[in-house]
Amino acid sequence: MDSEFLQTLWVTFKLAASTTVILMIIGLPVAYFLAYSRFRFRPVIEALVSMPLVLPPSVIGYYILVAYSPQNWFGRWLNESLGIRLAFSFQGILIASVIFSLPFMIQPLQNGLRALPESFREAAYTLGKSKSQTFFRVLLPNIKPSVITAIALTFAHCIGEFGIVLIVGGNMPGQTRVASIAIYDEVQSLNFNMANRYAFVLFAISFILLTVIYSINKKHETWRMM
Amino acid sequence: MAIRIDIKKKMLSANGEMNLDINTTLQMGELITLFGPSGAGKTTLLRIMAGLVQPDSGHLEVDGETWFDSNKKINLPPQQRGIGFMFQDYALFPNMTVEENLAFAQDEKDNSRITELIDTFGLNEFRKRKPAGLSGGQKQRVALARALARKPNLLLLDEPLSALDASMRTSLQDEIARAHQLFGATTLLVSHDMNEVFRLSTHVVCIEDGGISKSGSPEKVFSDTSISGKFQVVGQVARIDKQDVVNIVTVITGSNMIVKVIAVDDDTQPLTEGDRVLVFTKAFNPIIKKI
Amino acid sequence: MNKLNGIIANIQQAGSIMLVDIKVNSHLFSAMLIASDEENSWLKTGNRVDVVFKETEVSLAKGLSGQICLRNRMLCTVKDVTKGELLSKVTMDFMEYTIVSVITTRSVEALTIQPSDEVEAMVKANEVTLMRTTNLNAKTQ
Repeated sequence: MDSEFLQTLWVTFKLAASTTVILMIIGLPVAYFLAYSRFRFRPVIEALVSMPLVLPPSVIGYYILVAYSPQNWFGRWLNESLGIRLAFSFQGILIASVIFSLPFMIQPLQNGLRALPESFREAAYTLGKSKSQTFFRVLLPNIKPSVITAIALTFAHCIGEFGIVLIVGGNMPGQTRVASIAIYDEVQSLNFNMANRYAFVLFAISFILLTVIYSINKKHETWRMM
Repeated sequence: MAIRIDIKKKMLSANGEMNLDINTTLQMGELITLFGPSGAGKTTLLRIMAGLVQPDSGHLEVDGETWFDSNKKINLPPQQRGIGFMFQDYALFPNMTVEENLAFAQDEKDNSRITELIDTFGLNEFRKRKPAGLSGGQKQRVALARALARKPNLLLLDEPLSALDASMRTSLQDEIARAHQLFGATTLLVSHDMNEVFRLSTHVVCIEDGGISKSGSPEKVFSDTSISGKFQVVGQVARIDKQDVVNIVTVITGSNMIVKVIAVDDDTQPLTEGDRVLVFTKAFNPIIKKI
Repeated sequence: MNKLNGIIANIQQAGSIMLVDIKVNSHLFSAMLIASDEENSWLKTGNRVDVVFKETEVSLAKGLSGQICLRNRMLCTVKDVTKGELLSKVTMDFMEYTIVSVITTRSVEALTIQPSDEVEAMVKANEVTLMRTTNLNAKTQ
């Protein structure tokens, strides 16, 4: 009983942490592109990235599940050439969660970059610095609050995600059973005691996380003065 | 040993579309001001020099090196132009201390250069401080020092003093003049303050509506040499008071001096407040006295 | 500004001080100037210039006799007199030009200057400014 509880929390944490790390790597270049590019179809890409904010999780979950299915080319290709079946697996919910959390990572980063004066980038260029040097040494350090916010929102949102994980991953203990699904499951079985423990842990984690973020951001303002 | 500018660019300004069309040759080693009303294209020209804005067509050559050529498809990025650029908002990086801001500007670490700059601009007590803890004048000095840290051949200053009050301005004008003497970089400065032009520069290029209207030494450009008067000031009409059969015209000059001139109706009739005027008298009239 | 157009007839120079004679129609004017390089380009014998002097520098005389050091003397006919409290404006005809003088009302009354009077207007040579004739004066360089 207790080992199952810990196992579910571990899966939840692993999913949220992996999603955040992957999104950090994908999100920085995408946010940079969206903040500064003059590409004509940028609004299309912006809209795609933000879709998870407005679409019901079940819609995205459904499309992802369809894509994973061996009856479609993507699923068949995965199955035949790599021998992978993503549906109802941890990898499957990880990819789904990355897609679904995209805007939570990218939007704060993009807004942070846009809020920086244009002259920061230009000054670094005139000082002989390349675009990547400029990004890592000037832009990124100056959007620290946005980075922290993006990480926290992504992590917290992953922990709280329910619909997509349920559709794509089902409810397989140790594999795809995360805390939010477990709560639903325990409530269905009238096991309120267990539901209560899960709920409390999720509540506490989210609360602590957000409190830490806000105090770091506040501190950051004072750091800048010194 | 010259800067050859021949560029065209269509730009959108507050007054609609404007064509920037600049064709001039400037000497290296001088302190040159780009002077003119706001929206005339001064800053755009400076940004074109820096490679931050690309002209539509033309040619730009500095000290024998082609920086831009629309025919040969050459457009050197700002990183390779060997310039120092000082922005209107200074663009100091908030995450770095004064010292780190200067060090960031260098391709190879050169501590002696940083120490020299910090001493020259009196920044020693702030070297470990971040920009947010500096006053406007201090920020300006750091920005100027940072622009010089790479030993640029060409120093571009975009209205460096516009954000400062009058007293601060004067002392920082001296700082710019000193930096120019000390480090010898050809300096191009955007200004709309005539006083600043006179104090600082050896050569002034007047830009109006996207083109060069006049160019030369400040004395030559701002005084009208088609008049034999020896005592000339340019200023703005502040007020015209009719008194008796004459008028007393009050003129505020570029250096904020107030001059009162008696004029008859025929002379004041075309004047209204705010008009730019030339006040002159002959060398015979002023009386000189030791003070 | 009083402004008359003439042709430079003669230039005399001592050091950087120049005495320029200008012919306005047949009448000779003199201007005392300090020379500078920039003006040398257009201050040349035969060039057209404007002879300019300020209204307040014009002295008036009536029935003048004896000798006077003023170089520029214009025999004028008074067209109009506007009297102010302290200063008066005297408008006069001189050849095809209009000359204006601003002198004290006291002097106007002492000399009893009235329209159609014959008066002599005088300007010291060092009060005369020369200007490159306006229509030849290009605005840009």
